[in-house]
Amino acid sequence: MAREPQVLMFGWEFPPVISGGLGVACLGLCKALAPFAKLRMVIPKSVPNFSIPNIELVGLNSFTAEQLREMFRQDQWVDVSSLHYVAGGVHPYMRIGSDEFINEKFYEVFFEEVKPFDLDALYAGDVIRKVMEFARISVQYAMQQDFDVIHSHDWMTFLPGMILKQKTGKPLVLHVHSLEYDRAGEGSRNWVYELERRAMQLADRVIPVSRYTGSVCEKYYGIDPAKITPVHNGVEFVQRTVKKSPMKEKLVIFFGRITMQKGPEYFVEAARVVLAHHPDVKFVMAGSGDLYTPLIEKIADYRMGDKFYFTGFLNKKMLNELLAVADVYCMPSVSEPFGLSAVEAVQYGIPVIMSKTSGAGEVLNSALKIDFWDTHKMAQYIIACLDYPGIRHAVVDQANEDLKSITWENTAKKVMKVYEELLVNSF
Amino acid sequence: MPSICFYFQVHQPYRLKEYTFFDIGHSHHYFDDNKNKQVLDKVSERCYLPTNALMLELIKKHKGNFKISYSISGVALEQFATWRPDVLASFQALAATGCVEFISETYHHSLAYLFSKEEFVRQIEQYKALIKKYFKQEPKVFRNTELQYNNELAKFIEDLGYAGIICEGVDRNLAGRSPNFLYRAPNVSSIKSLLKNYQLSDDIAFRFSNRGWEEWPLTAEKFASWVHSMAGNAETINLFMDYETFGEHQWADTGIFEFMRYMPEHVMKHPDFGFKTPTETLESYEVKGIYDAHHMTSWADMERDLSAWIGNPMQDESIEKIYSLEKAVYASKNAEWIADWQKMLTSDHFYYMTTKFWSDGDVHKYFSPYESPYDAYIYYMNAFSDFSMRLKGEK
Repeated sequence: MAREPQVLMFGWEFPPVISGGLGVACLGLCKALAPFAKLRMVIPKSVPNFSIPNIELVGLNSFTAEQLREMFRQDQWVDVSSLHYVAGGVHPYMRIGSDEFINEKFYEVFFEEVKPFDLDALYAGDVIRKVMEFARISVQYAMQQDFDVIHSHDWMTFLPGMILKQKTGKPLVLHVHSLEYDRAGEGSRNWVYELERRAMQLADRVIPVSRYTGSVCEKYYGIDPAKITPVHNGVEFVQRTVKKSPMKEKLVIFFGRITMQKGPEYFVEAARVVLAHHPDVKFVMAGSGDLYTPLIEKIADYRMGDKFYFTGFLNKKMLNELLAVADVYCMPSVSEPFGLSAVEAVQYGIPVIMSKTSGAGEVLNSALKIDFWDTHKMAQYIIACLDYPGIRHAVVDQANEDLKSITWENTAKKVMKVYEELLVNSF
Repeated sequence: MPSICFYFQVHQPYRLKEYTFFDIGHSHHYFDDNKNKQVLDKVSERCYLPTNALMLELIKKHKGNFKISYSISGVALEQFATWRPDVLASFQALAATGCVEFISETYHHSLAYLFSKEEFVRQIEQYKALIKKYFKQEPKVFRNTELQYNNELAKFIEDLGYAGIICEGVDRNLAGRSPNFLYRAPNVSSIKSLLKNYQLSDDIAFRFSNRGWEEWPLTAEKFASWVHSMAGNAETINLFMDYETFGEHQWADTGIFEFMRYMPEHVMKHPDFGFKTPTETLESYEVKGIYDAHHMTSWADMERDLSAWIGNPMQDESIEKIYSLEKAVYASKNAEWIADWQKMLTSDHFYYMTTKFWSDGDVHKYFSPYESPYDAYIYYMNAFSDFSMRLKGEK
């Protein structure tokens, strides 16, 4: 390309305001892209003393009422009535409300007087309303900027991407880190699903974080595979925490949200099988979520309470300490677009057992792969990792090979190639 | 006059079943009879039966001027005897023509030479008895599993009384010389080494159906013309390959059978060219030079080494552990245990554990009955655990 492309990105999570892997991935990608593109990242909330070289971070929370009034002057007004048509749902949104309710919300958000953007928690309260407010202000802001390509990360930021694509004709790239299919299961056909589907149909290119997720876009959203370009995430190098295990037993761990998507109940069932044959093992489930208490009850029912520990939510430091003493990591996710935590476990030299429906498996030859429901096989792998030193060594050797290619530099190169293909006629 | 020396390898392992941790102490049957029979049936129909019929036809048609040789692993012969006596009979019919030589190897197609010389000799003797029983021949030429070869092995085999040994013609050891002559190792007195011409062998075994290959399609005439072009600069052109090339690696619809059907007559259109068995080859030509192989070589992969069989921690641990039981196994004098243990020495088990093709990006080269190398290792170690518990009288 003759010059660096100007990329206008929209993100929801961004460090230090993060909830899970999305923010980590957006940061990793932005840092690696910065040398090759002029990046402007629009996010709900920026923090004054957090900045990254060569990236312009625009937090909507930083616009004052005065700035917003100026931005929304009548002669600058961006007509968003078409958005209503593009994104208005046709199916009821089970958890939020009916179709009319969504339409009403749209009307309220887009035609009332603009107020400074404020967000307490990323996913609490009326998320849909926040997503709409985000779209309204960020579109108004973006129309007054220069850019060559639009790049949105996940459904929360698909709306501004869609409107800008329609208004400007600039190419739209949608980065798919997670889908409603993953979070709510294959039966979900709610407003978010509908938004994802329409956005992907409109987009010039869809970048899922794995071939697995690409296949979900194709199969469950009917997206043309010709415009799906899977690009795996990278991972930052870690300095391993060193810690001695407090117990003599081997430790098998699970960490992540304790929700249906992550398959924690399969981990419990596998533990039960292992313990029946191999009583000198302990299990740790780290994380929180709606299945937390039901699973505690189940463990008690199985009389495994002395072998099975729940830690609740762990921060990064505590998580590293857990990884430092773990012997096996299990990730039996029902549907996992990537699964950064598996790569993190690999970085700690821990054998990883993961479901075949996890994107990271595509870059981890070293992982032992199972069908998420196959608790018997999971139990066998756990036992083999504990009993047979050969497999541990082989897995760790291979993991070191695997890690060489799981870099953000590789990710950025592939994303740049997507930009170049889309902009080939523009420069 | 120059001749072509054909040697075909026939081998089928006793694959282990998916023997889980939960089977340990409960089931002592380690091998996947269904799978093994299934594979044998499939390969018999696609390859062994039609190819044997073709070879018999060629031998008859050329009235004793077309000759070939086989090495059929002992474990393959056992499985033919059990499940496909018709295939065994078709090999016996070939043996009866007098135009077919049988070459010695380790009964269990094992890596025993590297891990136990006693077991290595035992398996060669066992194999000799089996060949005598089925084919009424006493082998005079030896080939080791995957054509493992070095100077030391050549000497070892000479001391066992063999006149010839088969090996890969590895470029780095040939140093610019032609593989189409007989050589000998620097440390032997008389045993002759037959070197595989990998170029021409692989044209048939690997490249035959490759449409991206500039020589595709390979016809019998074309191949014969390449052979003829060596007149004056070759004595024996050694074409060594897996027998499964015919019909299994190269499917029938690639034309491989037609190629083989007409290749001998095109070769023999040139009056100076013919076919010889390995022993006839040894008797016909003198040694042309020293072939110095310090390091172990093989016919496998680009590296021509054993890196697909040994070297990763899973392979090294499982091989080490299984050979560590040798003394106890024979001390038990339990024929069934000895047989099980020997079947677990077959090199294929360790090949299934290889991870090397991941780094090569050449995953399509990995053939295995299991989902992953890790599974191969786990089932093997589970079976090993049960076996060693029985041996120690723990179960």
